Amino acid sequence: MTDHNDRAAEARVDQALVARVLLGHDRRAFEQLLRRHQGMVRAQLRRLLHGDEAAADDLAQEVFLLAWRKLDQFRGEARFSTWLYRIAYSCFLQACRKRPQPAGQVDEGEVEQLPAPRQAIDLQLDLERAMQQLSTAEQTVLLHCVHLELSHEETAEVLAMPLGTVKTHATRGKAKLRAWLAAWNDAAGKEKTS
Amino acid sequence: MMSHHAQEDDDEIEALLRRQFDGPLPDEGFSERVMRQLPPAHRRRTVVWPLWAGVIAGLAACWSQLLPSALLHAGWRDWAGGQLSAPAIILLMLAAGMSLLASCWSIAEADKR
Repeated sequence: MTDHNDRAAEARVDQALVARVLLGHDRRAFEQLLRRHQGMVRAQLRRLLHGDEAAADDLAQEVFLLAWRKLDQFRGEARFSTWLYRIAYSCFLQACRKRPQPAGQVDEGEVEQLPAPRQAIDLQLDLERAMQQLSTAEQTVLLHCVHLELSHEETAEVLAMPLGTVKTHATRGKAKLRAWLAAWNDAAGKEKTS
Repeated sequence: MMSHHAQEDDDEIEALLRRQFDGPLPDEGFSERVMRQLPPAHRRRTVVWPLWAGVIAGLAACWSQLLPSALLHAGWRDWAGGQLSAPAIILLMLAAGMSLLASCWSIAEADKR
């Protein structure tokens, strides 16, 4: 409930800043919007670009320059952050079309074949590895739903994907990770008993 | 319907994924770099002269068409004399219709902004 209230308050601050930019072409207000959202937009792009910091920051810069130019198209129906994530994802797709990403995706089922990790301390590293084994769509949906804490509806809007497809990718992605986690738990249990 | 156990597993996966995510990145001069690149704001200049030219041309055309008409003279005379004759009522309805159109237009324009 508090989280919901915080989000609503944040959205109102964003709306007020957007109004200031639109009414008076207030660069300071835009700078505040930029400082409030750059961290998450850059994190989103860095994840989408598999950790390529320079490319992610270049794209993020492009995103905010586009947002400045197109701010009058922000109608306030969605949260400002959702609108920015949508622009960022579109820029990312355009960049991919210009420079195709290296193929490295693995089909469904292969997560189950991952060798179980040997030590508990490796859990995060192995989870990262398991994430990379998910399909691009599953990774992208989980990034937006879990990491960026968007609702399924917001994720569908950002990714321009039907809501049902978003839910399916989220469920499948988590099911694969759950299966992998079960293997990890089993391995950890055996280590404890031996 | 998701079972309680599956929901717990989902929560566990989400918690792990959230821990794996570093969260918002520190600014490290990014905002300043973007602000330096920001082009000057181009104000949306509304060119008003075609609108006023159209209004004046329209009024002039109306006036030139209606001036020789007996209806306008009779209507205006009756209206000024406080007599609600048929020509005066037609003139009144025309004025009301024009005001209504202008109001609708203003409201539509205000919504766009």
